Amino acid sequence: MDFALSEEQELFRTAIRKYMNDLDRTAFARSVISGNLDVVANATSGLAEMGVTAIPVSEEVDGLGLGALDLVPVFEETGRVLLPGLQLETLALAVPLLESFGTPAQKAARLPSVASGESSVSIAWYERDGSLFPNSFSCIAGKTESGYALTGTKTLVPVIGDPDTFITGAQTAEGKSLFLVKASDVASSRMLSVLDETQQLAEITLNQAPGELLGEPGHAAEMLKEGLLHFNAALCSSMVGGMDELVKMTAEYAKIRVQFNQPIGRFQAIKHGIVNMKLDLETARSLSYYAAWAVETNATDKAAAVHSARSFISKAFIKAAADSIQIHGGIGFTEELDVQLYLKRARYYENYFGSVRDSRRATAQSLEWHSTPAKRDAVPVS
Amino acid sequence: MDFTFTKKEEKFRGELRGWLEVNLPKGWLQGDRKLPEDNEHYSKFLRDWQRTLYEGGWAAISWPKEYGGRDATLMEEIIYHQEMVRVQSPPLVNYIGIHMVAPTLMQMGTDAQKEEFIEKILTGEQVWSQGYSEPGAGSDLTALQTTAVKKDGKWVINGQKVWTSFAHLADRCFLLTKTSQSEKKHEGITVFLLDMDQEGVETRPIVQMDGHQEFNEVYLTDAIATDEDIVGEEGKGWAVLIALMLHERSGIAAQVFTLEQQFDSVIEMAKTVRVNGCLLIEDPFVEDGLADLYARINGAKLNYYRNITHTLKNGRPGPESSLDKLLVSELTKELFDFAMTIQGHAGVLMNDDSVFSAEMQGQYLASFGATIGGGTSEVQRNTIGERILGLPKDLGR
Repeated sequence: MDFALSEEQELFRTAIRKYMNDLDRTAFARSVISGNLDVVANATSGLAEMGVTAIPVSEEVDGLGLGALDLVPVFEETGRVLLPGLQLETLALAVPLLESFGTPAQKAARLPSVASGESSVSIAWYERDGSLFPNSFSCIAGKTESGYALTGTKTLVPVIGDPDTFITGAQTAEGKSLFLVKASDVASSRMLSVLDETQQLAEITLNQAPGELLGEPGHAAEMLKEGLLHFNAALCSSMVGGMDELVKMTAEYAKIRVQFNQPIGRFQAIKHGIVNMKLDLETARSLSYYAAWAVETNATDKAAAVHSARSFISKAFIKAAADSIQIHGGIGFTEELDVQLYLKRARYYENYFGSVRDSRRATAQSLEWHSTPAKRDAVPVS
Repeated sequence: MDFTFTKKEEKFRGELRGWLEVNLPKGWLQGDRKLPEDNEHYSKFLRDWQRTLYEGGWAAISWPKEYGGRDATLMEEIIYHQEMVRVQSPPLVNYIGIHMVAPTLMQMGTDAQKEEFIEKILTGEQVWSQGYSEPGAGSDLTALQTTAVKKDGKWVINGQKVWTSFAHLADRCFLLTKTSQSEKKHEGITVFLLDMDQEGVETRPIVQMDGHQEFNEVYLTDAIATDEDIVGEEGKGWAVLIALMLHERSGIAAQVFTLEQQFDSVIEMAKTVRVNGCLLIEDPFVEDGLADLYARINGAKLNYYRNITHTLKNGRPGPESSLDKLLVSELTKELFDFAMTIQGHAGVLMNDDSVFSAEMQGQYLASFGATIGGGTSEVQRNTIGERILGLPKDLGR
């Protein structure tokens, strides 16, 4: 029995944490809010220097060929300071999709620049109806002499730090298909107003944009689901990092804030509230480690491990932030304190590529609790 | 990260499994797990079971070989609990003797005490109880009022104990008393190894809300003990108590695995019981609630695994292991609460009339004890807040 990160992974965590401290923790997130987006590129190149961007990329294409567990310390520590950027989308979704479904030429063309930190990739998936797995896309990919041309509108597209490539979904004769589209081929884009101001979302319009097919046509949903197992495991680590910071912040505040002649942390109403946050944090951390382990080792209960982790942690992160605001009292309600940033981030992630309800349903399905799975599977979640 | 067991560990599991198949009471593995109702037969049944365990060398595997144990590793202990939960083995009547009293005596008992008690604890010849709580000393154990006063070379003990598990079956009691009044509340406490078979000791069973009688009130009226019955030093009983608690090495293992098994049984119910022609699990409310419980129960088990890993690497448990009891007991309560809800009105039926399992309604009622016994959830939260998060101590602590 050995259920802990390895010594190397813990050392790596220390290094990342130190780098985050050097970046002045949440200062980068606050820079983005005040409109200074240069920090995103700075952080990306800093992480690249440490080898972070090469972790999930295979060795043949200039990466380190490491697994999901090696990303755990990275995302916990970047999540702890709400580091703005496309690290999750690029390293935990685009890379697994390209590694699993890309041709050797597609990998060779894109992954070396991802590994070196020069390139980031985003996902342009959602359309205006907001559903994760729509019956069909309104964005159409028509065949051309050299490939495909995509026309349509995608929304809720993360564009922070200027990704050079989008992985997008479009309708072909075979059904829903995945494509690679160059950011420079996007016809127009409109920035959206976002609750979590450390994020940047756009609505992008494609007009006969050249698209390169990724994987088999007609299989976009299955491929995305597979990629999302990697993504959700990493997202869970990021949320655990945020929760850990919330518990720390709240406990520290309860030790120094004095009312009725004593630190408020002495009152059980406050103390037990923070302990409950700590309980959720430990459960979240265990579930996230296990999810990453299951993804890395391709365990038989991989899907249940990831979906159960995601369903628990999405909710627990929101609750931790909300409780932290309450325990901080008036100061917790202000813009000055970071707690509100965590609440907004938690809310941002809640339904990102799947809701809590979706994850729970997927947990039940992957554990085969239903006697007639075929009937249910015919209707995709969301 | 590695969840596999070593060859040696698997061999250990195989050996225990093989032994259980042959030695469990007749019909047990086939589902006939009813324990005798009246006290005398109940006591004999459980003492016989412990004797069988002893003869097989399975009564106290974590003990050193010189005392008749197996010097089991922590992983072997965990496997032991896993297997015992898997076959839902009869309870260990001398749990307190084996897991608490004897290891404490091995560490700080006199030679005479070791000689007199340890083997009898192992064989089940002598069953032990634990005289801690009192009507006025529950969560605050230091408020105890039972006194031991020395008179003519003997200790005369007076007071009342309550929630004393196994006292109605026990021969001896690991008894906490006050031998002097001190300003400091942890001082003046003395532990006696009290002989229960005497006139000054009267035991009255307490009927629990689930109908069982697992613990008792114990009235001590001029009960007698000797100097030889004292554990450690007179007046230094608190240190003995702390030493005893530290002997619970594999801690919460049995409850963790039991919770997992109980969850599986609720899933089985949801997959087989129909309401209005529809399986329970097909109701999205049921599916959603059970998936949530799956995540949290699995999370609690994984927390436990993380804590075991810490112990294996560092030789002692980390502070986070104190979260296990709180999480597991609260989850047990929530699991059965949800299990009751989803059965609909027929959930009020119990025993042989029960919708699914004859035991479930009783388990629901019993779950309320889990968050009280062994330290209430509130006291657990105080301890975690203060020891792990470094929050200021509660008033009065």
